[in-house]
Amino acid sequence: MSDKEKRIVLWYEELEGSDFPLVGKKNANLGEMLKGGIRTSPGFALTLHANDMFIEETGIKGELGSYLSALGEATLEACQEASDAAVKLILEAEVPPAIVDEACAAYQRLCELSNTENVPVAVRSSGAVSMPGQMETYLNIRGEGDLIEYIKKTWASAYHVEAITYRLNKGWGFLLNIGVGVPKMVNSRVSGVSFTLNPLNGDRSKIAVDVSYGLGEAVVSGLVTPDNYLVDKVTLNPIRSTKGSKEVMCVYNASGSDCAFVDVPAEDREHFCVTAEELTEICRVSKVIDKYYGKPYDIEFAIDADLPFPENVIILQVRPESVWSKKADEGRTEQKKDAMDRIVSQLITGVRIK
Amino acid sequence: MTDKFMSPHDVEAIPGTEGWERLYPYHYQFSKDDPDRAAFEESQLWFYDGLHYPEPHYPFDLIWDEAWFLALSQNNTRTFLMPPALGIDHRIINGHVYITPVGVADPEEVGRRVPTFMKRAGYYYENWDRLYEDWKVKVNGLLVELEAVKFEPLPEVEDETLVFENRGIGSGYELLAKYDELINMGLKVWQYHFEFLNLGYAAYVTFINTANTIFPDIPISTLTRMVSGIDVVMYKPDSELVRLAKLAIENGLDQLLIDNKSSAAVMTEMANTTAGKYWLDELEKARYPWFHISTGTGWYHHHSSWNDDLDVPFASIVMHIEAIKAGKQVGRPTEKLIEEREALIEEYRSLIGTDADREAFDQVLAVAQRVFPYVEDHLFYVEHWFHSIFWNKIRELSDVLVGAGFFKDREDIWLLKRGEIRDALWDHVTSWATGTIARGPSYWQKEIDWRKGIMEKFQAWSPPPALGTPPDVVTEPFSIVLWGVTTSVLKNWLKGVEAVTEGGVEELMGAPGSSGVVEGRARVIKSAKELSSLLEGEILVATTTSPSWAPAFTKIAGAVTDVGGAMCHAAIVCREYGLPTVVGTGRGTTTIKTGDLVRIDGDAGSVTILERA
Repeated sequence: MSDKEKRIVLWYEELEGSDFPLVGKKNANLGEMLKGGIRTSPGFALTLHANDMFIEETGIKGELGSYLSALGEATLEACQEASDAAVKLILEAEVPPAIVDEACAAYQRLCELSNTENVPVAVRSSGAVSMPGQMETYLNIRGEGDLIEYIKKTWASAYHVEAITYRLNKGWGFLLNIGVGVPKMVNSRVSGVSFTLNPLNGDRSKIAVDVSYGLGEAVVSGLVTPDNYLVDKVTLNPIRSTKGSKEVMCVYNASGSDCAFVDVPAEDREHFCVTAEELTEICRVSKVIDKYYGKPYDIEFAIDADLPFPENVIILQVRPESVWSKKADEGRTEQKKDAMDRIVSQLITGVRIK
Repeated sequence: MTDKFMSPHDVEAIPGTEGWERLYPYHYQFSKDDPDRAAFEESQLWFYDGLHYPEPHYPFDLIWDEAWFLALSQNNTRTFLMPPALGIDHRIINGHVYITPVGVADPEEVGRRVPTFMKRAGYYYENWDRLYEDWKVKVNGLLVELEAVKFEPLPEVEDETLVFENRGIGSGYELLAKYDELINMGLKVWQYHFEFLNLGYAAYVTFINTANTIFPDIPISTLTRMVSGIDVVMYKPDSELVRLAKLAIENGLDQLLIDNKSSAAVMTEMANTTAGKYWLDELEKARYPWFHISTGTGWYHHHSSWNDDLDVPFASIVMHIEAIKAGKQVGRPTEKLIEEREALIEEYRSLIGTDADREAFDQVLAVAQRVFPYVEDHLFYVEHWFHSIFWNKIRELSDVLVGAGFFKDREDIWLLKRGEIRDALWDHVTSWATGTIARGPSYWQKEIDWRKGIMEKFQAWSPPPALGTPPDVVTEPFSIVLWGVTTSVLKNWLKGVEAVTEGGVEELMGAPGSSGVVEGRARVIKSAKELSSLLEGEILVATTTSPSWAPAFTKIAGAVTDVGGAMCHAAIVCREYGLPTVVGTGRGTTTIKTGDLVRIDGDAGSVTILERA
């Protein structure tokens, strides 16, 4: 453990769930999933320690820390001011050579693994505490120069005004070191989200899947109406399939980093975007994740355009389902003395089946 | 969209069938004679009982409809006091039976019925296993009585024992009495049939609904897998065929069975060798009672049993032999089924959020499992075993009347109502007793010819799925579980969208029978005799299937039926074989042609014709 704590870079396969204080929750979860036999996109994490080294060695830590006390009353204006100053400070600082070297070495290894020069990667924030959606993820980053630049941007995103106000509302500190995840970009033919319960009613015997063409942003951000499935978690048989209109898809910018939205060709909109066997594989893996953690999960996945089935079904990100899991399950059936009592009341109220 | 079906009083007679009403009991007619009864008929939803009756009724065959009309209704209304439900009323139009469940309208009356129901039904639920054993004893006793019935031509001169043993009872009287006894046995076995069947369904419905509360949208087919029995009598006939197939291979008789086209030829050749004789002995053991299984549902006189036509089970034995030699699994993998059932239940249980819900689930699952053997097995005893023998007893009686010149053919008897047969018997015995000419021959042959014409016209008529006034929401448990009549089904019927044609793609909607999606070439099978024409990987399309068709299920990729719900046997058997199945499409056999490329979705309950042959 002591060794891990001093590392700047840790590969996903070196991580497990309990490592979240070192690399953030998203990264630790990906390591945990690999251990559970769940395919993810290959990649590595920059540790919280690396973030701390950065602010320490560049000498900006003291100045960053001072913003909190300077804030006094945390008005929105004050937060915005503190955010602007912190982001500027981070973006203008030079990343120490030790971190650059380690990150670039890891990136080169990833290029080799993928047999691609300047392989596109995602650069993802990964906090040690849950701050859903408060920090940034950058997609389709290519080359060492951009990689280091976007790592810095990700660190800076911990000081975006939304993230600051979220922290202050929770009574946490202003300073925040975060982990950064650098997985290879999946060449997503389709991507989507699965919930290992029915999000409409909390039923844990179902898996709900939303999936559409291109990168996952289109589905996650709600820009398209995806294909939607309700699948039985036990038998993996689909119960309902609803074809979505799938208007646009998010694709890599061919020219450089980041991505763009384009229209989906009309003929592709008319059919479901995954095959029956791909759907079953998505659900099978979702179920493995649910069983591994022993609770409902919210899962982002993609199907790679270049890989063969079933290796093409890749898990991008997982997190515990947060809505129904927080509610106390109050039960669904009425209190009755015995089976006889249930039969009588059933006969009296009648059956309601569609 | 209209909110009502056609009034039952507005359905017109088919041209050329005027007077058809006399083929059936007068009280089966919709009528405006009595304004109150007419208003009741108008206010109810009547649906065509296509589940049991894919064809119009011959006058005699209506006996089973009358038998369950009485037995089911009386049990709900008068015996157990089913709180919200009275009986099921019956009518007939153009030879097709329409039924309507009758509810208890007054909620207070429903409440008043509860204590009696709790006491009486509770007694059955608590003592279920013992009462089911008693039930088997009663039904077996009746089967022995049935077997003993014999009909013979009346003698020219009575035997002298009538005099010297001073019996005092003549053959004419005995013929009449035996006919009455036979009919009464038939009605009685149906009293037993419903002795606690509805209690079984009530427990099953409660399980389905409770499980649906805990796991919304859980497929009924999955729930059936949790309760369906392992050692089920209905599967016994097929397992006997598997046994005979293995025995034939072990004794080097398999080629003999494969080479010979008819069962008679096989049996003649078998009788020449010791091994063959041994196999024939084993065949005899299997035939009684297991070959009483009907090749249809047993509801119609023309649904013959394996014993009636040994070519059918012999063809199935050959299929089993070929499958065994090809290294395939034949028969039901009992141990695997038990394991799968237990694993399925455990996994769902583990997904229940609270202990209270788990307790509710366990309670209703336990009672559903307890009632299920009877719910599944009564069919073999009554519709298969009893009916198969019964039809042949009536044929024996018909031979007497053919001999007396009343009918030209023994199959003519089905065109008479059972009361009319009694009248004909009176005509026959009195003319025999008197030594005069009966009116029967001149009266019945003409009538029968006319009735045959009517039956042909009935066959060609497509009965509307429902008549009268639908309820806003269907909550009546028996309509839903047995007939698959749900609120959404009624809406589809009202829209008239059973078959949708869209850009050359034809789609039929039915009910999900067994999970999965599959594509294949269709083979439309009209009777068990055609089963041997099935090719590997084809989709079986039939009006309904019988458990006696099980051997074919090792070959096919999926099945489509015209009638039936999730509980019907086609669905249950296909689930066991893991074959995607859509049941109750209404018109599968008429829309789909052999050779069409079809896709069936056993989860959505849809059948798509992808390409015409």
